[in-house]
Amino acid sequence: MKQIKRAFKIHRIFVVQELKRMMEYKGDFIVGIIGFLLAQISNLLFLWIIFTKVPSLMGWSLNEVVFIYGFSLVPKGIDHLFFDNLWAVGHYIVRKGDFDRYLTRPINTLFHVMAEKLQIDAFGELLTGVALIIVTLPQLSVEWSVLKVILALISVPFATLIYTGIKTCTASVAFWSKRSGSIIYMFYMTNEFAKYPATIYNTVVRNIITYVIPFALTSYFPALYILKGENPLFNIGMTVLAGSALMALGAVIWHFGTRAYESAGS
Amino acid sequence: MRRAAKIYFPFINAGMQEVATYRVNWIFYILGNVMSCFVSYFIWKAVYSSGGGENLEGFTLPDMIVYIFLMFLTSTIIGSDASYVVGEEVRDGSIVMRLIKPVSYNGTFLFQELGNKLLTEIMLLVPLVVGVEAVRAALMGGIQFNPLSFLIYLVSCVLAYLINFFFNICFGFLAFVVKYLWGANLMKACVVGFLSGTIIPLAFLPKPLEAVFLLLPFASLNYTPVMIYIGRYSGLTLLYYLGLQLFWALAFWGLSKFLWRVSVKHLTVQGG
Amino acid sequence: MIDVKNLRKEFKKTIKEPGLKGSFKSLFKPQTKRVVAVDDISFEVPKGEILGFIGPNGAGKSTVIKMLTGILTPTSGKCEINGKNPTENRKSYVREIGVVFGQRTQLWWDLPLRETYSVLKEIYEVPDDRFKSRMSFLNEVLELDDFITSPVRTLSLGQRMRADIAASLLHSPKVLFLDEPTIGLDVVVKENIRNAIEHINKQEKTTVILTTHDLADIEALSNRIVMIDKGRNVFDGTVSELKTKYGQIRELHFETEERNAAQALCYEKLFGGNIGGLTLEQEGKAVKARFDSSVVPVSEMLAYTLSRINVTDISVRDADIEEIIRRLYQQGVSE
Repeated sequence: MKQIKRAFKIHRIFVVQELKRMMEYKGDFIVGIIGFLLAQISNLLFLWIIFTKVPSLMGWSLNEVVFIYGFSLVPKGIDHLFFDNLWAVGHYIVRKGDFDRYLTRPINTLFHVMAEKLQIDAFGELLTGVALIIVTLPQLSVEWSVLKVILALISVPFATLIYTGIKTCTASVAFWSKRSGSIIYMFYMTNEFAKYPATIYNTVVRNIITYVIPFALTSYFPALYILKGENPLFNIGMTVLAGSALMALGAVIWHFGTRAYESAGS
Repeated sequence: MRRAAKIYFPFINAGMQEVATYRVNWIFYILGNVMSCFVSYFIWKAVYSSGGGENLEGFTLPDMIVYIFLMFLTSTIIGSDASYVVGEEVRDGSIVMRLIKPVSYNGTFLFQELGNKLLTEIMLLVPLVVGVEAVRAALMGGIQFNPLSFLIYLVSCVLAYLINFFFNICFGFLAFVVKYLWGANLMKACVVGFLSGTIIPLAFLPKPLEAVFLLLPFASLNYTPVMIYIGRYSGLTLLYYLGLQLFWALAFWGLSKFLWRVSVKHLTVQGG
Repeated sequence: MIDVKNLRKEFKKTIKEPGLKGSFKSLFKPQTKRVVAVDDISFEVPKGEILGFIGPNGAGKSTVIKMLTGILTPTSGKCEINGKNPTENRKSYVREIGVVFGQRTQLWWDLPLRETYSVLKEIYEVPDDRFKSRMSFLNEVLELDDFITSPVRTLSLGQRMRADIAASLLHSPKVLFLDEPTIGLDVVVKENIRNAIEHINKQEKTTVILTTHDLADIEALSNRIVMIDKGRNVFDGTVSELKTKYGQIRELHFETEERNAAQALCYEKLFGGNIGGLTLEQEGKAVKARFDSSVVPVSEMLAYTLSRINVTDISVRDADIEEIIRRLYQQGVSE
């Protein structure tokens, strides 16, 4: 308990420092947020144009598709906002030997790396995601219950852990191979599949994004439960399970990675 | 010419070595990028099976599939990192080093990147073209490959690459204004992606919008080569679009020269 | 206090042949070989000592330091500080140490310096009152006041180094590791930093392990030297022991009208086949001859020199430690 309190305190301090840093480069951060907003808008335009040609996509209405899309952006955005420094581990922190610094400090290295940076660009995704959910929800006839609200709220942090866990696993590869940016990228890009209803894919793809690189669990399955009230045990349970398992696996690989870390230079 | 070849060969060679060293990385990046192609593929399949009709805006499903993968191939062929490289050099000040070398500023970038691309292109072009043609043959019954279109496609790609390269050089100079180009690059990628038809064929847009977009330099990047490949442009139309590409290539080349001159002044005044 | 025993570290290295062909080859069949960076190092450091840890490039200094600071995991052997072991409990181990790498900074680059200290305060859980008194002490010793509100990226190298040392001392560590703390600094700033280190060592009984290429640092600060080469200990003792053991080197200084003293003197005759360590530098009138007094005694050297040419202002001096070590490096210390 004391440890958790301390972690939150340190995290808050890092966040405050990051915000101060951002004030020094305000323009850049605004440009970044707008960049991510634009990325979402161009995808939405694509969806909108498609739905001018067809009434529904394999039985999914525009509103439902947009809801799933919006829902997918929330865990993605949260992970992006708080845990984006993992990319830097794969790109250069390990290769250039900058990881030395984390190892000489008396806090958990994974926590330190993740807490240290805040990726404000992510607001471009988060804001879009929340906005899309708010806009589409009233137009969808969703039956709400207390349980549903609770489960929906629970699914978000665990969906985030799916992202963070996959990034931790793949970033840790850098401890052995020096750089792993491209590996993180390859796995991370699979999340593209998560933005749309999983029923549009064939069985192979669907199984991969459900059981192997389970990005479908970050949006489609929770959304399925929220929209249709189907099978909460699988739709939410699997998300919780996968999020915890992937993060735990990531932490283990990371731990062994730090022991294999070779620093840089002579 | 021979002198130029001698000067620039080391840059080509360096670029090629870079790729060879990081080839595994490069393959992973390509695999990552190809994901969104497959997502589009499934979405379009769903669209066509959801009662949109056999033919949308002149595209059948096989057309669309070929379009998606050709778009991917073309963007990879004409892709340029120049804005990142220039941006980075402006930011850390190493751009000054380019001043003291007796070779053209744009030239050094261009040839280093060409060396880089020469290898990647060949590794990517052959399997992807064979793949696309196989899909086309299977979907449309019979081989559709047209060597003449393919050749003109390659020419068009070269023009598109030059447009993209010089456009990116110009864009990189933005780093004199904005410190980190990351966000700006992302914005650029989105706008270009949409305006160049990568996300959705321009034919799907409202007609007046399509007409305007076709004139913009971005359509000259991906859309024109792909349209040529799948045989949508012929005769005078073909010449018109190639001419437009040439125009934009020259325009951005001129602009990059101009911006370079301005920034040299800026550098010499500021003392780097 | 610090106990290092039979420390060893091996790396796996990929071998790449040069050129394009080589890069392709290593792609498909990467060749690796085992490299022993640290073979077998042992030493102990009592509390309050300043230990100069030296050796030629590639001797394994950095690797040892990185193992001692918990960055690298040893292949075998042990290193302990007060019985604590970095591989078993890194977090509690690193609380006891402070680390400064001259070539790297642990300061937050884009923020005013003061912010770094407030973050480190939380990381190391320094209580508020302790933090206040600590900061004023560090301020006094390292004179941070002039730039504590400036962003770190605007600091000069000397300021940055002082700031880094302060950052490593904020949590009052028992052991301070300084890796090249004076690299790239000018003479005055070097002097300031040395004084600060000495002050802290005296005042707080902080044990210091210092690696450096500037042997003036060692002469000014260390009571004891551990020298390693090729991953093994080659010398462990005081500075004066090093001098008596290896230091038969003397310098003969004099002035002469002779344009080419080397030719006129022809010391090779005197030394016969054994001219190890003999050098001669001439700058205008001033000549400096360096020689090994165990081969030719000082008196003989003097007599010989005086007999060959006309000299004024002749004097004999002890070589500084730098000279001894340079000579040892050249010969290869492990022989």
